[in-house]
Amino acid sequence: MSTAIELQRIGKRYWQLSEQAMLLKSLVPLTRPKRTELWAVREVTASIGQGETIGVLGGNGAGKTTLLRLLAGVTRPTSGRARIRGRVAPLISVGVGFHHEMSGRENVYVNGMLLGLTREEVTRRFDAIIEFAELTEFIDTPVKFYSSGMYMRLGFAVAAHVDPDVLLVDEVLAVGDVAFQLKCIEHMRRLQEDGTTIVIVSHSMHAIRLLCPRALLLRKGRLEFDGDAETAISRHHELLTVDASGVSTGDAPVRIVSRLLLGPGGPTHHPDQGDVLTYRVGLQFAEAVDSPQLLFHVVTETGIIAYSMQTALGRTWHHFEAGVTANADITFRPRLGGGTYRLTVLVTDKTGSRIIGSDPTGYHLYLAPRLGTSGVADLGATIAVGAQELTDHDALLMGPPPPGAPD
Amino acid sequence: MTRPTATLGIVSETGAVPSERPLTPRGRGRHDQVLDLEPRAAGRRAWLSEVWSYRDVLDMLARKDFQTRYKRASLGILWAVAVPLLQAAVMAFVFSHVIAVGNGRRFAVYVMSGVVAYAYLSVAVQAGSTAIVDGASLTDKVWFPRALLVVVPPLSNLLGFVVTVTVVVAIMPAFGVPLGVQVLLLAPASVLLLGFCVGLSLVLGALDVYYRDVKFLVAALLMVWMYASPILYPQHALGRYASWLDANPLTGVVVMFHMATVGSGGPWVVPVTVAVATTIVLLVAGGEAQRHHDRLFVDLL
Repeated sequence: MSTAIELQRIGKRYWQLSEQAMLLKSLVPLTRPKRTELWAVREVTASIGQGETIGVLGGNGAGKTTLLRLLAGVTRPTSGRARIRGRVAPLISVGVGFHHEMSGRENVYVNGMLLGLTREEVTRRFDAIIEFAELTEFIDTPVKFYSSGMYMRLGFAVAAHVDPDVLLVDEVLAVGDVAFQLKCIEHMRRLQEDGTTIVIVSHSMHAIRLLCPRALLLRKGRLEFDGDAETAISRHHELLTVDASGVSTGDAPVRIVSRLLLGPGGPTHHPDQGDVLTYRVGLQFAEAVDSPQLLFHVVTETGIIAYSMQTALGRTWHHFEAGVTANADITFRPRLGGGTYRLTVLVTDKTGSRIIGSDPTGYHLYLAPRLGTSGVADLGATIAVGAQELTDHDALLMGPPPPGAPD
Repeated sequence: MTRPTATLGIVSETGAVPSERPLTPRGRGRHDQVLDLEPRAAGRRAWLSEVWSYRDVLDMLARKDFQTRYKRASLGILWAVAVPLLQAAVMAFVFSHVIAVGNGRRFAVYVMSGVVAYAYLSVAVQAGSTAIVDGASLTDKVWFPRALLVVVPPLSNLLGFVVTVTVVVAIMPAFGVPLGVQVLLLAPASVLLLGFCVGLSLVLGALDVYYRDVKFLVAALLMVWMYASPILYPQHALGRYASWLDANPLTGVVVMFHMATVGSGGPWVVPVTVAVATTIVLLVAGGEAQRHHDRLFVDLL
């Protein structure tokens, strides 16, 4: 198997300027704006085989987007080198160059040619593109009259038909309605089967799990892990918790000093829906507190409270002296839909009227969705018509891994 | 490994250029291309051939720029001609009859030919110098040589310019300037003007990315430059300082337009030589600046 992408100790440094540079000022000595360096990507070495699909994971500012920009050739590395074989199409660029006054047809040409097609190649793919975008009737309407969904569909349709050797995807599955998202995933599967190398950056663990056998995990610009996607997702959630833990409230009467999620097999960031989990939170009392009460939240990625549980307010149960520590054990079953969740704990006084300790960062965990499900909760539904059960998704599981998947 | 792409009706072999894809030998986005990214800039030859391979994108961007600029206006391209023409007519009237710097109707043609050329330069350079920054949304996701963006305004304004010049030439006889073979000089004059604008845009466009104040400097320069060139007055009007104008590269450009219409009133060899030399220097320096900073501009946008 030949390699499609080779990265050798690649690095990208950005300069952050204290102010915008001015030509006139720069001619005066000693007035250059102060600048601080920032390595967005540092010393990343990886090799991606032809036909492989690889996910890129990492928290905010981990360097995912910079890595993708390097692969797209938009920016030049500061150190190291990259070699990319074949035509690269960035799916990061849905609707690039779209102009509101121009019709859908004209925009398809502009966008297609910017993505690397020649005029004739766009012409040849034109019908397939508008059919994919489901915009046949509106193709000669200026795109300013399009809904945002139509706009995105057209953009994705062009990008998907560039017929690349290397496809770079950034958060594209957030495009359009559910039906269109499925269509996109299907399309990417087809490209996978055709031997296209795909690099996916996504906050959606589902997309990564569905499409990528292998994933790179970036942390502060460096490559933290390179291997199977499940392990990478697990590591990613572990790092989310570790890297954020410095933010805990400092001078509150009660401090959260440790967090641990215990599953059947020990500490975990990637449990199953059926597991019985214990979330163990270490509390330290900086002041004497009488009968503190606890509030447990499970928060989705979008900040919605998926679940909340409170201890019995007003009940007198224990007086904690200043300086003591205690563990709170919260035992629960994560009957949640697939996704990344944050477990947080609030400590209040006896009556619940004052918050005396909180944990804004919390603990991150990832739950894989059961096939065919979506939403916040997992009710374990089955659907049957007559005697035929229709929700037995195991039959629909991913086919054989795409060529080039690491063993 | 075969790659059947059923939806497109194309079956291609990975790593080869299939016959269904008629690509020029140096076509871009080929399936067998290898992109090597290194910290240093691409070689001169490699960069130039890369730019050349994007000529269809340049053509498309220029058309798009032209179309979208006039799409809203009901009179469309008429505006591209009417505005500079009106400007030229007003200037010509004021400076030949009201203030009467020169003598009469013939001088009106002198002013018009200069103003028309300057109006083109002004619009093209103003847009060209900010093109990379303005095109940031285009450029931060897809790569193509950024130099293309800078060249777009000089190109997309060319059609309006040609029509405007044609109108000026057509009405010349009414101002007592006979049509003659001298109008053939408009071709080299326009080429020189185009080259000058492209060179200037390449240099200023690169600077504009790095320095926020370039666009204000350009605006100031364009205002002063018109009066520092023999457009609204004959060169000899400056008396013993007249030869100073020869150092202004724009003088040579304007002189060529005068030669193509009312005929040269004075020496032209020195200013035209200065203009041609400056154009070449600008094109080379601008090209080099673009090559050295390509794939780096995006970091600052």
